[in-house]
Amino acid sequence: MLEAIAFYVLAAIAIVSAFAVIAARNPVHSVLFLILTFFTAAGLFVLLGAEFLAMLLIVVYVGAVAVLFLFVVMMLDVDFVELKQGFLEYMPIGALVALALLGELGLVASAALSANGAPIALGPAPAPEITNAEAIGRVLYTDYVLVFQLAGLILFVAMIGAIVLTLRHRPGVRKQDIAAQVGRKRSEGVELKDVKPGQGLG
Amino acid sequence: MEITLAHYLFVAAALFTIGVFGIFVNRKNVIIILMSIELVLLSVNVNLVAFSAFLQNIEGQVFAMLVLTVAAAEAAVGLAILVTYFRNRGGIAVEDINQMRG
Amino acid sequence: MNPNLDYITWFGIDWPVEVEWALVKTGQILAIMIYLLLTLAFILLFDRKVWAAVQMRKGPNVVGPFGLLQSFADFFKFVFKEIVIPAGANKTVFILAPLMTFVLAFIAWAVIPFANGVVIADLNIGIMYLFAISSLGVYGIIMGGWASNSKYPFLGGLRSAAQMVSYEVSIGFVIITVLLLVGSLNLGDIVENQRDGIWMWHGFRLFNFAEFPSNLIVGITMFTMLGVFFVSALAETNRPPFDLPEAESELVAGYQVEYSSTPYLLFMIGEYLSIVLMCALTSILFLGGWHAPWGPVDHPVIGFIVLGVKMWGVFFLFAMVKAIVPRYRYDQLMRLGWKIFLPTSLVAVVVIGYYVTFVAPRAAEIVAGG
Repeated sequence: MLEAIAFYVLAAIAIVSAFAVIAARNPVHSVLFLILTFFTAAGLFVLLGAEFLAMLLIVVYVGAVAVLFLFVVMMLDVDFVELKQGFLEYMPIGALVALALLGELGLVASAALSANGAPIALGPAPAPEITNAEAIGRVLYTDYVLVFQLAGLILFVAMIGAIVLTLRHRPGVRKQDIAAQVGRKRSEGVELKDVKPGQGLG
Repeated sequence: MEITLAHYLFVAAALFTIGVFGIFVNRKNVIIILMSIELVLLSVNVNLVAFSAFLQNIEGQVFAMLVLTVAAAEAAVGLAILVTYFRNRGGIAVEDINQMRG
Repeated sequence: MNPNLDYITWFGIDWPVEVEWALVKTGQILAIMIYLLLTLAFILLFDRKVWAAVQMRKGPNVVGPFGLLQSFADFFKFVFKEIVIPAGANKTVFILAPLMTFVLAFIAWAVIPFANGVVIADLNIGIMYLFAISSLGVYGIIMGGWASNSKYPFLGGLRSAAQMVSYEVSIGFVIITVLLLVGSLNLGDIVENQRDGIWMWHGFRLFNFAEFPSNLIVGITMFTMLGVFFVSALAETNRPPFDLPEAESELVAGYQVEYSSTPYLLFMIGEYLSIVLMCALTSILFLGGWHAPWGPVDHPVIGFIVLGVKMWGVFFLFAMVKAIVPRYRYDQLMRLGWKIFLPTSLVAVVVIGYYVTFVAPRAAEIVAGG
């Protein structure tokens, strides 16, 4: 019973805040509602027993991707005045397409889950003493190790791409060369000048 | 009452349609499009994990992890493109991004 | 009465068993919260006293004997001040930011074990939960800085957030080395792995000459990781010498500058509570948790006290570093996090992975036999 209450609360908050993402006036509020959606989705994952993936969702999506969104939204200094000029113009078509999609998804889901056709085969029952993390680990590093490496490669390429796109070298920026500073010798740092009395260094 | 697979699939379908709806009606801000794409990917993740839990197959969660990875990578590169575009053009209204139109 | 559910009977009414569970857990949570708030009060005073002692002065000693009631006086001062909200500030986010910092600092303590079996939520993925909470901690700062509608807090907040995110990466890798040695994400298991005396504590494996020469590989790496974790914890919590985003002379208290009485109090409590959390984590991950140096401790109260002593010891080091080390400039700080700590911890993960697979006694048998 507790599970049902938790599910309904989390699902309701997820759907409402997902709608608030696209409907909010202020982009910063949109990002905050996106974070709330991710958070409630992680809660749904915990209900399903996939707690490792739930924590992973929070660490990756909320902790990194949404921070990135927030930085970009805050720094881009977007003009808030041009608000929702196009919203009402495109809403009927958008709603029509969205409802059509929802209908299609519902049809496919109900056809797949109904008793017509082949019954859905259950996988082997998981051993109860294995944690979720260990169960994923057993499969990820053995059967799917190439896919795992490929995912690492994708992240690497994305990292290089993001840096290449946004890094710009501005002329005249002075940097610190720590090795040169630490490796300075006395001959480079101190110079003895013979000053005649009354003359100064000039 | 019993929470079945259909409940989770409904949540995933709702998130998906809201994401697609967001891409359609948004005319002011490219960032909202990127966020709607993240919503779509989130709905796919919910779908995968729900099936993984109800069919007791751990591979659904492995696939969800990979979708998560790709979503993070795509968000990073998408935002980098957005930042570069903003530096060059000074604004991010959706209607102004039509330079490649022939 | 649903025959599928369990019930418990109090005062003649049948309650579902979940109600009893909820009440017990609420009681535990309240007890831990009171303990944490009291610890916080005295740790604030301890910080100021240590700082004063290094500078050869006395520190707060007016309020109560030896200044022991100083934090309570500060608390009353903060609460009675006026809450000032800047004119153009986004009110919801302005109030939400310190609330978030405060709440996140507390809920992280749900998985910290204080003694054998004494933990509110014995999660199988305890470390992942802590990592998730520290990832969320960045938001309180960003939102606090942005909602103040002023350039200085905004810049301070962004700098502080970037610093936190950078050092989270190296903290993550350091935690992975510990997890490789233990084989479990559960914090109780991590402490139990350090059962057999001080030379089996993860930080001090170097001196475990019973396993010579393999203890050299793991010992040097883990001792380095203890150092990296300690410094990264300092940077993660915006603690001196990494406090440029909130330095008084540079950015005028950074993201907190527009905050006054109670929201500022919440920020301060959240910040110091996460410092105490880092002290507890250092003790649990590297210094043996609730186990004594001479051997295992299974008694809950003694374990509680041992962990408390270790936490205060690590906090003493935090306070000494604050008093002694000059402040790092922001680019030096980022260089340290990305160019020095990250490669070090990556190499350490590889070394510990090698150790666990090929060198460690039972693992070597398994690899050879299976």
